[in-house]
Amino acid sequence: MKAELSPRMKTSLYGLMCVLLIPFVFPTWWMVTSSVKPISDIFAFPPQLVPQNYDWTTYSKVFELQPFVQQYWNSAYIAAVVTIGTMIVSSMAGYAFARIRFPFANTIFMIVLLGLLIPSEVTIVPLFQMFLKAGMVNTHWPLILVPIFGAPSVFATFVMRQFFVTLPTELEEAARVDGLGRFKIFRKIALPLAKPALASVAIFTFLHSWNLFLEPIVFLSSAEKFTLPQALTQYTDAYGGPMWNIQLAAATLTALPVLIVFIIAQKQFVEGLAHTGLKG
Amino acid sequence: MVVAQDHAIPEGRSSSPFWTIARRDSLAGVLFIAPQLIGISIFVLIPLGLVFWYSLHEWNVLANTFTYTGAQNYRMLIEDTNLLEVLGATAIFSSGLVVFNLSLALLLAVLLNQKLAGITIFRTLFFSPVVVSLVAWTIVWGFLLQKNGGINGLLQVFGIEGPNWLREETTAMISVIVVQVFKNVGLNMILFLAALQGVPNELYEAARIDGAPRFKQFRRITLPLISPTILLTSIITIVGSLQVFAQIAVLTQGGPGLSTTVLVYYLYQQAFQFHFFGYGSTLSILLFVIVAVLTFAQWQMRKRIVFYES
Amino acid sequence: MAEVTLSDVRKSYGAVDIIHGVDLEIRDGEFVVLVGPSGCGKSTLLRMIAGLETITGGDIKIGGRVVNDLDPKDRDIAMVFQNYALYPHMTVATNMGFSLEHRGTSKAEIAERVKWAADILGLAHLLDRYPRQLSGGQRQRVAMGRAIVRDPQVFLFDEPLSNLDAKLRVVMRGEIKSLHQKLKTTTVYVTHDQVEAMTMADKIVVLSGGKVEQIGAPLDLYDRPVNQFVAGFIGSPAMNFLPGTITSEGFSAPGIMLPLPEAVHEFRDRKAVYGIRPEHFVLDDNGVPAEIILVEPMGSETQVTMKLGETQVTGVFRERVSLSPGATIRVRPDLASIHLFAADGGQCLN
Repeated sequence: MKAELSPRMKTSLYGLMCVLLIPFVFPTWWMVTSSVKPISDIFAFPPQLVPQNYDWTTYSKVFELQPFVQQYWNSAYIAAVVTIGTMIVSSMAGYAFARIRFPFANTIFMIVLLGLLIPSEVTIVPLFQMFLKAGMVNTHWPLILVPIFGAPSVFATFVMRQFFVTLPTELEEAARVDGLGRFKIFRKIALPLAKPALASVAIFTFLHSWNLFLEPIVFLSSAEKFTLPQALTQYTDAYGGPMWNIQLAAATLTALPVLIVFIIAQKQFVEGLAHTGLKG
Repeated sequence: MVVAQDHAIPEGRSSSPFWTIARRDSLAGVLFIAPQLIGISIFVLIPLGLVFWYSLHEWNVLANTFTYTGAQNYRMLIEDTNLLEVLGATAIFSSGLVVFNLSLALLLAVLLNQKLAGITIFRTLFFSPVVVSLVAWTIVWGFLLQKNGGINGLLQVFGIEGPNWLREETTAMISVIVVQVFKNVGLNMILFLAALQGVPNELYEAARIDGAPRFKQFRRITLPLISPTILLTSIITIVGSLQVFAQIAVLTQGGPGLSTTVLVYYLYQQAFQFHFFGYGSTLSILLFVIVAVLTFAQWQMRKRIVFYES
Repeated sequence: MAEVTLSDVRKSYGAVDIIHGVDLEIRDGEFVVLVGPSGCGKSTLLRMIAGLETITGGDIKIGGRVVNDLDPKDRDIAMVFQNYALYPHMTVATNMGFSLEHRGTSKAEIAERVKWAADILGLAHLLDRYPRQLSGGQRQRVAMGRAIVRDPQVFLFDEPLSNLDAKLRVVMRGEIKSLHQKLKTTTVYVTHDQVEAMTMADKIVVLSGGKVEQIGAPLDLYDRPVNQFVAGFIGSPAMNFLPGTITSEGFSAPGIMLPLPEAVHEFRDRKAVYGIRPEHFVLDDNGVPAEIILVEPMGSETQVTMKLGETQVTGVFRERVSLSPGATIRVRPDLASIHLFAADGGQCLN
């Protein structure tokens, strides 16, 4: 497959890829450009690939109609806490499953893996009841605790375990001889070497938390508690119809920062994901 | 760790014979997994038990009654004519999604695996929807798929009258599948690409010397060698497809009719819109069983279809 | 500095015994090599001394103190691993000073100790590099540097040279030996290579199947192996063995009668194995006939594969033998250097 390609072949491959790119790239372009169109141009025919008139007030309306700054902060801090928490919990558990002998290790590992079979959608009803009893409905606790400790972190634990299994045992033995206990070996040797795996866990976890939708609409009921995905759906007129350009402006504000970070760090993103235990 | 320190008195035979090296290390292991294990117990295992317990009850939230009804909810499950439609929609959605997702991912990975200048730019762009906020992505597509939206506008430029995508049964289903595939196909694409790059080049060289044409090389060498990845991605994708909620909620609200009401969305409606917590729990059990059976079946299949395991 | 004592040390995994009661005394400052074929338990034994493997029975003492259940860090030992086990995310200097950091040594002292070790090993110019930027030999030196900075009571080496090419191995062998002569730290060194064992050790411990076969100075083992296993393991090319019977006329091997020293006639009519090292054949016109199969000139000596009766043996001669295969030469075993082993169990008879 790595044979040199003829120039004609190359041209047709480029052509094919450019066509295939349209559904991947065009929606983002359409989101950004439509967000600054006045409402009258939103459904103009023929479609305006580049806005002909600009209406920047859509962006100020985003903040007027909803406590959008607060909602942005909610999503950001929840995602940050969940990401850091998951990295701690899953790297510790993954390390122990890969490296430490303790009773029933295999049984416990199987139980933990069971979490992969039980998406939080399955347990959403009892979770709601539990958090209701604990007085935590309409707080952010469910959105923080469930991902860090529940089913979503199991995948992270699995990735970390797969990574730690490949770490040479000699390094840890050298560290033991050098005078380190288990915890220090973990912190000073294993963890620094696990940066690629940690990075992909961080990316996955962040995106998962950032995109969470079912949980917020089940657990949260007041606008200032909302997270972004939920907030985006709230830009509706008196009849419940979406206010397209404002909604798209809010969507742009939600999507663009992560997209920019991704484009800057795309190498780490993509290669991190490709080179973890995910390969099977 | 604290214990390990305490007992590490540099003096003779174990002053405390119980805390041997192995036992101290075991304790460390238990402490390391404790947060995860306790978390799983509270947020997965106990809820799983509860969901089963709830499924055996008639639960009226308004009247605040919680009565044991045994298998009644399960009988309801069988008699629920809507459920058949829901399961049908779920099956179409999941299978359509998996097939479209995996074939597109493989095609893109093969393209990205070619020696072409600027290939990283393409890789970045194909991957970019993965990092776009899910609801934002769905909203834009919802916007594009309106009767007078961007897609029909473009079609009209070429003189084609597009359908009202989200309001007709067939096109609504196609739409939700397509939106979801373009959002996440980048993940599988990257995993396939990594797998393709893991196939030793010598094998292709050998095949070329043997005179195997490109297509045959792909079918006889590439596919068997990346079959573990195909299996893994198909499990991830199928389990993921059963959890798709936001896209349905934003694009179609399960409509028109029940045509895009997948199981998760139905569960949400029953439990949180109609407050049938007992029946909602029964649907949760059904979802769990489906996920478990599918995962187990695919895992079993690995012996049959995976030609090669590293 | 310390002596190391192993008394009746045992190790088993479940019902499988790996080490069957090893007794061993290592004196202060001694360089002891544990040698044996792979799977003989030598590495396990070393790791038990290090505290990386638990012991099932017996006692291990370092410097007079029982360390059976101490963590490696509390045993005051340092270890050089087969794959060096350098921390990939730390520089050479950090690698070497790492153990001191965890013993509350001051920064200034760490730097001083690292510099001292680096000077000894010729690493001073590499201190800021990362392990991946070093050659195999340099990594090996860093691994040794990491061991010596701490000035531990015992050095443990686990096949440290097995990843180096043949030439570098000889150089490093010399360096380790002279380092030991400089520092005089008690050393336990594991290898499967008997040449390493012979050239480096003050005392060799030959292990096989989790048991000690023989302990002794290198030349002791060479000259007076207690059994056929040690005889065959020590020395290169290996000792020749011919099975047969001791008779009044000599040793009756298949197709040939070999001379015996007077002293062994007490074992007359006994089945035995006749052992002779390749270098203990002498070219002698009055010797026994041997058909030449292969001649390998080495320059300083000539190695000849030949047939003695029906058994193929190897001889090494200082003389240049310029005969072609098929020819017959006459060789005489040096009677003072032959070994007889019991046919059952292989114990040395003479």
